[in-house]
Amino acid sequence: MKISTKGRLATTTALVTIALIAAMILWANKEVEDANNKRRQTTQLTRGLTEVRLVTFEYILHRHERARQQEQEVSSRLQRLIADDTLVEPAQREILEDLRERIATTHRLVEELVPNPETRSDEDKESIRRFEAQLSSQILMLQQDSVANAFRLTDFSTERINAAQRRVETVILFGLGLIALTTVGGAWLINRNVLAPIHRLEQATREVAAGNWHYKVDVGSKDEIGDLSRNFDSMTHSLRMSFAQIERSNQLAALNQEIEAFSYSVSHDLRGPLRSMDGFSLALLEDYGDKLDDEAKDSLQRIRAASQRMGRLIDELLGLSRVTRAELNLKVVNLSQIAREIADSLDQQQPPRAVKWDIEEGITVHADSALIQIAMQNLMENAWKFTGKTEQPRVHIGSLQADGKKECFVADNGVGFDMAYADRLFGAFQRLHHESEFSGTGIGLAIVQRIFRRHEGAIRAQAKPGLARHFSLA
Amino acid sequence: MSESNKVILLVEDNPDDVTLTLRAFKRSHVMNTIAVARDGIEALDFLFARGAYASRAKDPLPTVVILDLKLPKLDGLGVLRAIRADERTPLQPVVILTSSKEEEDLISGYSLGANSYVRKPVDFTEFLEAVKVLGIYWLMMNESPPERKRL
Repeated sequence: MKISTKGRLATTTALVTIALIAAMILWANKEVEDANNKRRQTTQLTRGLTEVRLVTFEYILHRHERARQQEQEVSSRLQRLIADDTLVEPAQREILEDLRERIATTHRLVEELVPNPETRSDEDKESIRRFEAQLSSQILMLQQDSVANAFRLTDFSTERINAAQRRVETVILFGLGLIALTTVGGAWLINRNVLAPIHRLEQATREVAAGNWHYKVDVGSKDEIGDLSRNFDSMTHSLRMSFAQIERSNQLAALNQEIEAFSYSVSHDLRGPLRSMDGFSLALLEDYGDKLDDEAKDSLQRIRAASQRMGRLIDELLGLSRVTRAELNLKVVNLSQIAREIADSLDQQQPPRAVKWDIEEGITVHADSALIQIAMQNLMENAWKFTGKTEQPRVHIGSLQADGKKECFVADNGVGFDMAYADRLFGAFQRLHHESEFSGTGIGLAIVQRIFRRHEGAIRAQAKPGLARHFSLA
Repeated sequence: MSESNKVILLVEDNPDDVTLTLRAFKRSHVMNTIAVARDGIEALDFLFARGAYASRAKDPLPTVVILDLKLPKLDGLGVLRAIRADERTPLQPVVILTSSKEEEDLISGYSLGANSYVRKPVDFTEFLEAVKVLGIYWLMMNESPPERKRL
């Protein structure tokens, strides 16, 4: 559960509790007020009953007409008062019924009393007196019971008020307890779900700052802090990754340095013995030429030729490795201009040959100027070389759009090659012609391919009449 | 000092290369004394008349030092640095003659004050040509810097 959800839940619980307490207090207040009303009414009832008892007593003693009228008056008032069913709780309805009956009976009995017994005969007087004595005692007893009942009703109301007040107290206590519980629970949750994970995160930042990038925090929860810790972990993960990458590239740089050292000794140490082979062969030829027969001289010449060829191979291998190691410095390069300069220098090297150069104007590529120059030099020298036996040599340098990419090409009408061997064309020391036909070490196109690879371009070759070579540079 | 008194110091550890270089000088009709040092320290001993070369204290400095880069003990660039740093030889003509044509070697060679940088070709005919040109240039055409007083 999210922390924000938990927070909302805690707030809602507290608010509901407070609302509940308020409602209980309001309800209890109403209850007390209601009970108070009823107690007032029952008190009135009690008072009325006491009053009716007094006037009845007075009437029994003196038979004043005024007392009888008062009794009637109070009785009818009592009957009205008691007619209201809401006066008591349903549980006390029985007592109320009883009271009604008693009041009505009492009243009836009072009316039965002879208004003026003194006016009767003595015989009558005696019987009336006995009868009235009985009646009066019955009335007084009834009234006594009524008063007692009325008191009981009052007691019930008082009891109700007390009960309501006790309930309010209970609710307030319970509510306060609930609020306290919520507060303690909230504090505990905050400590467990917020403060403790934050402490762990804080410790993790210190660990990571100290360089321990393998430190994992994941607090496992699904809340915001859980997200934070997971993000933190993924951050250290990517830090670790990029550090590993840097380490790898450092290793690569070290490896490059080793290659460089190797190239250096290749260029220095392998050429030494070759020089000796060539030099001492020549020394033999010069100093002892007159003592050697033609075969011996030919052998020495072959040793010299082989040493020199090996020297060239080493140089070209070094050229290849230099192309691989060179730092790329990309900018917009005018390919047409480079091609034009190379064509001019080739023309000057071998003036008797007349190659017709067809160079498209304004070809530009985004590339390393020095490397692209080496590539073009190799491609154009190849074109020059392989058109050596063609009647009207032509070399076309141009560009076209293929699959949405710009493709530049060098095409010639030279001897071409067999497409079956096209995949061997770009391997180092791979040759598709005999050296006796066309000279070369077979490394030129390997260099060209490396240069294009380093530019994330590609080279491909096509052989068809009049179009020998193709390369593309994205 | 007559031309034949001029001394060339060849600093080269490979005996084959020494023989071939000497042969090339001979064939180019360079008759001057060619002293050979087999490592960098020996080269400095010769120049500064130390150790085995202490007796050279009064002799003039070589007209030109032909210096290989890859040498035992102290490499060619170290020798060049020491030559340029010493108050007796700051102007000493030094030609680097080496197999390497690494851009770095070229840059460091010239930065440290090499007067020339020649690459040893594998083809001895070309090598011969290079040594001949070197001999003619440094022994005949080039005017040596004025000799500093030695300590």
